[in-house]
Amino acid sequence: MHKLATREDLETTRQQHLLDRKKINKTIIICGGTGCTASRSQDVINAINQELLAQDMDSSVHLRVTGCHGFCEQGPIMVIEPGNIFYCHVTPDDAHDIVALTLRDGEIIERLLYTDPVSGIKIRTESEIPFYRAQDRQLLSRNREVNPCSIEDYIAVGGYTALVKVLDSLSPEEIIHEIKVSGLRGRGGGGFPTGRKWAECHEAPGDEKYVICNADEGDPGAYMDRCVLEGNPYLVLEGMMIGAYAVGATKGYIYVRNEYPLAVKHARLTVQQARKYGLLGEDILGSSFSFDVDVARGGGAFVCGESTALMASLEGKVGEPRPKDVHTVVDGLWHKPTTLNNVETWANVPSIILNGAKWFASKGTKGSKGTKILALTGRIKNTGLVEVAMGTPIRDVVFTIGGGAVDGKAIKAVQTGGPSGGCLPVDKFDLPVDFDVLYEAGSMVGSGGMVVMDESSCMVDVAKYFLTFLQDESCGMCVSCRLGIDRMLEIITDITEGRGTLEQLDLLEELADTVTQTSLCGLGKTAANPVLSTLRYFREEYEAHINEKRCPAGVCKALIEYSIDPEKCTGCGRCKQACIHGAISGEKKEPHVIDPELCQKCGICRSECKHEAIQVK
Amino acid sequence: MLHYVTVNIDGATIKAPKGSSVLEVAIEYGICIPHLCHVPGLSDIGACRLCIVENVTNGRSQVTTSCTLKVQEGMVIRTNTERIKRLRHNIAELLVAEAPNSRAIQDIAVRCGVKKVRYPFRNNNCVLCGRCVRACAEIWHANAIGFVGRGKNRHVERPLNMREEFCKQCDYCIQLCPMTIPPCDGPMKPGEEYLCGKCESQLMITEEVPDSCAWCRLGEGFNCGRYAGLKAVG
Repeated sequence: MHKLATREDLETTRQQHLLDRKKINKTIIICGGTGCTASRSQDVINAINQELLAQDMDSSVHLRVTGCHGFCEQGPIMVIEPGNIFYCHVTPDDAHDIVALTLRDGEIIERLLYTDPVSGIKIRTESEIPFYRAQDRQLLSRNREVNPCSIEDYIAVGGYTALVKVLDSLSPEEIIHEIKVSGLRGRGGGGFPTGRKWAECHEAPGDEKYVICNADEGDPGAYMDRCVLEGNPYLVLEGMMIGAYAVGATKGYIYVRNEYPLAVKHARLTVQQARKYGLLGEDILGSSFSFDVDVARGGGAFVCGESTALMASLEGKVGEPRPKDVHTVVDGLWHKPTTLNNVETWANVPSIILNGAKWFASKGTKGSKGTKILALTGRIKNTGLVEVAMGTPIRDVVFTIGGGAVDGKAIKAVQTGGPSGGCLPVDKFDLPVDFDVLYEAGSMVGSGGMVVMDESSCMVDVAKYFLTFLQDESCGMCVSCRLGIDRMLEIITDITEGRGTLEQLDLLEELADTVTQTSLCGLGKTAANPVLSTLRYFREEYEAHINEKRCPAGVCKALIEYSIDPEKCTGCGRCKQACIHGAISGEKKEPHVIDPELCQKCGICRSECKHEAIQVK
Repeated sequence: MLHYVTVNIDGATIKAPKGSSVLEVAIEYGICIPHLCHVPGLSDIGACRLCIVENVTNGRSQVTTSCTLKVQEGMVIRTNTERIKRLRHNIAELLVAEAPNSRAIQDIAVRCGVKKVRYPFRNNNCVLCGRCVRACAEIWHANAIGFVGRGKNRHVERPLNMREEFCKQCDYCIQLCPMTIPPCDGPMKPGEEYLCGKCESQLMITEEVPDSCAWCRLGEGFNCGRYAGLKAVG
């Protein structure tokens, strides 16, 4: 490894690595992202390595451990090139067959292929899988091309060409113009036009400026940023370098939450390797541009994803937001002009510079351009990370990519944007993934979380869940957020426990509006969204809780009662055995009964019963 | 040399020193904006949200706290619109439900038009306005107390709950605390919290002009910026 002093050096290195790559034509790509690691992909990697050695194939096959492929539910995932063969749920025991059959003889192992849950057909290649086929994977598809721990890999696949283009031929103004024309908007949740942010920071007076990559992703069920930072940290870094060049910053920070150990590790390794190669430091690639990056770890506070709280945390203070009457692009980190963008936003920058603003703007809608990564989770068949062009209807994401509901239940709603977003009912599923349209509908694209709920979810309970989360995570500084969320939760708890009144519902709406308008930071300003959107679209559920003291989905414990249908009960005794509270009694082969006094409504009997005899009312 | 900017607050054109906050300028000019966490001379954090105003730019108005908003040339501020009154009422209601036995908080609630509280009373001893914390840190540089915890668990505490020796025993925190002001003769007893409304007469003003400072007795209790300013001058 040597320092790349000039742009020609970079090109020579690239050609060298490309030649090295060409020598080996077979590649086995195994996902080493957090999802697959959790399903023991490291064991698979070790087993494959051993088998390659044992079968004397280690020199003719290239094993690449990459970041997340997106289809985390099927992990560990493996793709074999050439052939684009896709194996899922791979175990270490499969290693011998994979090396002996597929890699040596090109034979396909049927049992490891993916079975489409909708049609039941086994699918051979990655590109044919409906989950992948319906996506537009501009960022995610690059994860499988590189080993996130190897800068050589990134250089080989064309890394830093955007940076070279910027250093060679573009002025900061031209870059900002390009970003403006592309229509790129902040991917972290706010959707602020990135070009405008950069322009304001560029124009702000001061010699010392900063760029920050916000990887403090804390929404429940969302992990887009983790996946990008883990899987392709060099892309994020290159985006930051271009941004720093454009706004005139010499120092950058990657603020990543400590709960993402792999992302922290990869980000640190990236910075170290880039420094060694001279891609960070003084006079990068022979230009006059100097830039360095440090990786900072978050301390576990959700509110530190808010820009001013993040900066306070970086400064070593308590992570609390401050008023943004003067924007952070003028008065940010250490009161210096600061450009803060989300991981995904930074990752989009190099392709915009390389392919041009027009290419980026050709995807998407009028107000929202490009693609967006969504974390698709909940009660659907295919869960994982999906990337779609902006403007794709929610219906396509949930049904075409997600494969529809599980267990034959009907899908009721989708919660988009995490705790700051809202719930959209199924009749709004034709709405596109678009910053402005979803905001109008009372939700938001947010960072991209998408939790699908079916008829077994109680919307009042969902609102309660998010309020509990936010009550915990609010910094507690300002009255409207701290007390407002607290009181909203108090009212909703009353409703779910059967003490609610219709007057409280009006109070809840008024309070939600007050919290939205008067809170200090983004957390408080959007905290009422789960309440407001569920009130807007599922008011009848709230009213059922209040007027009829009934929970339509059978979730709120205070309002439901378990009973056994004597027609369906066969008296098998499974429920009686399973009940840890001793609430079920009955003779063998006779219908059983539940004692409501003893029943704790845990639902264990219901999941044990094979005859669907347990009713919830 | 002091630089001045011209701002418009509630229709009045005011020449204000650059760098001062909208709240300070308004109080100086005799426009009443209710506030709690603001103390003249201490930094502002915008915690109590009572001093919210509408900042009108290009026909769009934005709700923000006036204590943290610095005056700028040509700024148009509305302190007492229907929207602000409603929001302020709701915030004061949240506050008074938290500490109904504090006279300072009751005075504020009365000023903001809270007659009935729709939440169960809680009778807490602290509303986390942060006056004490900032006074301790900024006037005496003692840092003997600070905020600990997050969200619902946030409270004021000594460092590690033990380092008493940092305290210089200036008592300033006690003087500034809205909870230590002696309660009025109203019927407030722990367990019987409600608003008696007797102090409404202290407003001495009619509903039509609540935006101008009438030197009502309500501000005296909790060191309203105008009284405090007077004290500093006197």
